[in-house]
This record gives sequence, C-alpha cells and structure tokens, in this order.
Amino acid sequence: MKFVVSSTELLSHLSAISKVINSKNTLPILDNYLFLLEENLLTVTASDLESTLITSIELDNTNGTGAIAVPAKLMNETLKEFPEQPLTFQIDPETFAIEIFSQNGKFSIVGQNGEDFPQQPILNEEIASTINLNHSVLLNGINKTLFATADDELRPVMNGIFVELSTEDIKFVASDAHKLVRYKRFDAKAEKDASFILPKKPAALLKSLLPKEEFDVKLEFDDKNAFFTLSNFKLICRLVEGNYPSYNSVIPTNNPNQLIIDRVEFYNTVRRVSVFSNQASNLVRLKLTENQLVVSAQDIDFAISAVERLSCQYEGEDMEIGFKSTFLQEILSNLSATDVKMELSDPTRAGLLLPAENEHEEENILMLLMPMMINA
Amino acid sequence: MENQFSGEKRKIIHIDMDAFYASIEQRDHPEYRGQPVVVGGLPDGRRGVVATASYEARKFGIHSAMSSKRAFQLCPKAVFLRPRFEVYKEVSRKMREIFARYTDLIEPLSLDEAYLDVTNDKQNIGSAIEIAKQIRQAIKNELNLTASAGVSVNKFIAKIASDIRKPDGLTFIGPSKIQAFMEKLPVEKFHGVGKVTAEKMKSMGLHTGADLKKLSEQELTRHFGKAGRFYYNIVRGIDNREVEPHRETKSVGAEDTFAYDLTSVDDMNFELDKIAQIVHNRLTRHDLQGRSITLKIKYSDFRQITRNHSFAHPVDDLYIIRDTAKQLLASTGPEGNSVRLLGITLSNFGELLPPTRRQDKSGQLRLFP
Repeated sequence: MKFVVSSTELLSHLSAISKVINSKNTLPILDNYLFLLEENLLTVTASDLESTLITSIELDNTNGTGAIAVPAKLMNETLKEFPEQPLTFQIDPETFAIEIFSQNGKFSIVGQNGEDFPQQPILNEEIASTINLNHSVLLNGINKTLFATADDELRPVMNGIFVELSTEDIKFVASDAHKLVRYKRFDAKAEKDASFILPKKPAALLKSLLPKEEFDVKLEFDDKNAFFTLSNFKLICRLVEGNYPSYNSVIPTNNPNQLIIDRVEFYNTVRRVSVFSNQASNLVRLKLTENQLVVSAQDIDFAISAVERLSCQYEGEDMEIGFKSTFLQEILSNLSATDVKMELSDPTRAGLLLPAENEHEEENILMLLMPMMINA
Repeated sequence: MENQFSGEKRKIIHIDMDAFYASIEQRDHPEYRGQPVVVGGLPDGRRGVVATASYEARKFGIHSAMSSKRAFQLCPKAVFLRPRFEVYKEVSRKMREIFARYTDLIEPLSLDEAYLDVTNDKQNIGSAIEIAKQIRQAIKNELNLTASAGVSVNKFIAKIASDIRKPDGLTFIGPSKIQAFMEKLPVEKFHGVGKVTAEKMKSMGLHTGADLKKLSEQELTRHFGKAGRFYYNIVRGIDNREVEPHRETKSVGAEDTFAYDLTSVDDMNFELDKIAQIVHNRLTRHDLQGRSITLKIKYSDFRQITRNHSFAHPVDDLYIIRDTAKQLLASTGPEGNSVRLLGITLSNFGELLPPTRRQDKSGQLRLFP
C-alpha cells in the first residue's frame, strides 16, 4: 500500500492522539500507531487498552489498502524535523517494511502486522445510551471536576468523574472524600436516566481535544465502555466499574452561617498565609465574626505565624474552622465568580463553596470541602 | 469452661465460605465462571498481594497473600480484580442473618468465617449436623454461594473439620472419633502451626498428632514455648474456648517467617511492603483503624524484639502503616542483622469514628468512610 500525506498535517493528527500511549506498555504493540488505509481515508489509532483514540485524514493520492503498526515514538520524532512537504509512504505488506520518501531522501522503518493491534471494543447497542452533547458543556463538566478526583487504588470508583444524565439535566461529580464538586447543566438533557464513571485519563484526553472542537459531541455508552465522537477524533474508553457513593447524602442542607467574599482576594490571602502553615497539615484557620474574616496559620516547629484580616459579609454565629489550604486554594481557583459564598454549619461539617451569584442560569456549581480538626 | 464442668457436650459449627471474594465476583460476573479469578492488588501495581484466588486459580499454585505479580507469572490469563469490600460486607451481613435464625452465639472471625454455638438452637432442631446442612442450603439458595462447614464439640476441631471437604462440604467429627482423628492429623494442620514450626516438628520426628501426644506438657513447652501447652491440650481434643459473640478485635496483624534469613535492609523493606499490604487488607476487612503500630522482628538466633509507634489519631492508611513499619525497622539499626521473621500489628482501636467524621492523621475530615 502507498499514500502521500502532508508532513505537518500528519504530525498534528498524530501528536493529538499520541497522548494516549503509555511510556511503558505491557503489550509492545501498543508502542505503535495503527495505520489503516481504505480508499482515500487514512485512519490512525493509538491505544493503551483502557483508552483508544482514533483520527482520520482524507488523502488524494493513495494506492491499495491495508493495515500496519508503525512505531509511534520514531514516527513523532521524524515528523517533527520536517518542514511542510508531501511525504510518500510505501509499505510492503509481506515484510512490514515502511519507506518514507521526502523531497530529499528516504527513511526506512520496520513496522509490525496491523492485525496484532488490539481490537476496539464494540458498543452493546441493546443497552447503550446515546446523547449529543454541546462541546462546551462536556468541556466545562470535565474542567470543573477533574481536579477533585481521587487517587485511591482501593476505591477505583473515586478516581473518575461520575457523569449522571437525566431528563432534566446532566451532572458531573467528582470527589476524593475530602472535597467534592457537583456541576449541573440544565441545557443538556437525556431521554432516559443513565450514568457512568469516566476515568481520569480519558477525561484529561478530552480536556485537551475539546477546546478545538466546534460541533456537538456524540456520546454513546454501555455498561463497559464510552464512545465520544468528535469532528476529527473518536475516543473509546473503558469505564470504571462499580457504584459511585451516594454523594447527595453528604451535601449538607442546613447551613445557617453564610459568608460572602471577593474570591480572588480570599484566594490570595489563603496563598500568602499558607506559606506559614505546618508543612504536613497545611492547616489554615478561618475565624468568622460579623463582617470580618481572619485567616491565620502557624508552624510551631519553626515558630512562624501569619494572620490577615479581610472584610466580608458574614451572617451567622462567630466561629472558627480549619481547612487544608491546598484544598481551599484548589476550590477557589476552580470557581470563576467574582464573589464566592461559603455556607457553614459547624467546624466539623463540610463547608459549601458556591458562586455568590449564578453567572449563567443554565449552570449550577457546588463545591464542598471537609474541614480539618483545629486541635489536631 | 462451665460446659466442661457441667459435663454437657457443646455443639459447635464452623462455617467457612469457599474462596469468598472470588466466588462473589464469579457469581456477579457470569463471564468469569470457570476461569481463574484473583481478587486483590493488580499485578501492574508495584506491591499488590492476592486476597482470594478462585479454585480454578489455585490449580496454578496461586494462593492468598502471594504477590499479585507472582500470581500473574503463574497464570497470566487469570482475571485480576480489585476487591469490592462494600459488596463483600453486605454478603457477610446476610450470612449472619442466616446464622441468627439458629443461634445468637455467633463469633465472626472475618467477613467469610464464623463460629456458631448451637448447643441450644433457637428452633429446637437439636442436631448440629442438620443445622449445618440447613445453613449451607440457605447460603446456596439465598446468596448463590457455597460454604464449607465443620461440626464438632469445640472450636478447634470444628475449624479443622470445615477444611476437610472443602469446597462445598460438610464434616462432622463426633466425640467418639476425636481421639483417632487428632492422632492421624498431620502437624501442619494444627491451628497456629505455620510452615516454620511444622518444619521444626518434623525435624524432631513429630509428624502427626500421635507423635505430639507422646510428649509431656513440659517437653512441649520447652520446645515451643507458650504454644506448647496449647498443643498438649488440643492433641487430646481439649479446647474450652467459648464462642464469643461480642469478642472485640484487639489487634490486627500479619507476620511472615522467611525461607532464608534476610540480611539486606532492602529485602527486609520489601517484605514489610507485602506484610503491610496484608495487614491493610485485614483492617479493611474488619473495618478498623488503629492508633498503635507494632513491628516485630525475630533474629536468626530466635531473639525477638518489638518496636512500637502510636499516633494521636487512628490510622488505616496503607502508606502510613508501611512507612511507619519501615521507620521502626530503621530505628533498630537493621544493617548487619540476620532476620528470620517480620511482623506488623495494628492495635489500640478505640472507638471507630462515625463515617462522615472520620479523619486522617493530620486531622483532615472525610466525607465518605
């Protein structure tokens, strides 16, 4: 088989899908791209068995059909060195020898049998759900929640984003048992209730592909896999099996103490003060009194301490509550509102962080952070 | 004890689920049935160990507490699964509901094992064998799982009996058969006799219960310490331990005696990794957190030391257990020592915090248990 392709176009497609390839693979074939030529369409696949990314390029000048596995690293490094020019690939289906002819030379690579590349999973149509999702809904859902996923070998369900579709909205939920994010969109609905847990890696892959997307994303999933079809890419990923914990029951509903504060100012204060917190605990204390928030931290081991006062709107009982500063900063930086509202009940219960005013009526975001014991 | 003096023979059943975790996975995933299934750490993880292997997997030599990597080498086509403890706990709860139809004297040993005292059963069935049959049938009908049962007059013999016709079997050892049974029993089957003690016994020409029986209590104590007294009684079929329904777990631990004494600190740390993983699995299985971590070291001259570290808060985190054990080891100056046994124990459990309030060492509270 033989085809001619633009060096830069091929590189841009390959580098987009190369992120799926693990640096160390149990199966050596996964160090390769699968090139599949049919008529005038070149389809390239990369996979780590859990996630598979597929892209295709339409070509004018092709001859023959076939499949071959091409060493990914060598391919990427070679293509990077070419200025824009047509490259001719000539592949011997018997020996798997690949010859690339450029303007000035010839590059020889040995590929592997394309048939050795793992088969893609097939959607179980009988139980599958399908939804067309606005690309920005999906991107926001991932962007707002990915940071809150866990890294827990013992509870794999917590390592992914829980995507819950219903006839009224779509929810993205992530939690590492210390913090939790729930992002709802009312402008995306499904025909029936369904849910799945999207693992971290494919979520991160979508996060890098979606900003360039202009059209709706077709999402299909069954009990094992999810299939995301974008304009130029298709992502297939194995879902996390198991039941997501019932997150609604841990969201406190009775929070009489409410703080409204400038988000960026609050964030900057926490950052500065936390430099003085104990390195192991990262504990910062928030002392709330009428219209004043005092943020403080200390590290007794080094006899250092810091305190800052901020004006705010606070309605409720005077209270002192501790948080891990790294978590608090992450949450504040992942909200986008100008003013943030913090709802608290007592120093041992979760604090809710919300935009003070909803910026878009079609979205609803809630973040939740468990405090630290101050006397620890 | 009082049963012993009142002269009344007790009726004890030991129920042991067959390859518990693996059987549940095969029950819930029909595609895994008939296949070697290994539940535990995944082989690509650096330090996973096998929690349960299905009977198909055991044919390849895979057993619990083996490293998952080794299991993968023995049988690469085995299905490796992470444990779903919530599911196992729920099944265990249902098992106890079944037991409770017959007696309230239930002593759970772990999620998949329990002693039942059915001397006076609730339904006046009277026959412990019949009760064991009914329980096994109920487990099969209601949970779609199999259990093995041992029936006898004390805990020790009931437990050994449950192992005889495993899987899916029932063994009764009545008072008239106990003497003959204990005499024929190979020493490695004795509760508490590990591979190392068994080797020692065999080197002394002690192969079966009959051989042990020839020794006096003093001789046994001299060779095997405190355990000697236990062997002396047990080989005569005497075990007066009661079935304790509310027995508190005071400590959870694991230890291993090595085939060769360890001299390199790297090897010791490597073994501690595995032991910590087993301890962590057991903690999770019992849903416990401990405040004290104890490292036990036995040197090749049988000298034994323990080192202990206590936290302000209960811990159950694998990494904390592992790193604390390693620090304790480092504090003993392990270089140049020759070590035959290492063990890690967690104790000082105290009260378990309510799930939504549980916190880690630094005082960070958690949302989910």
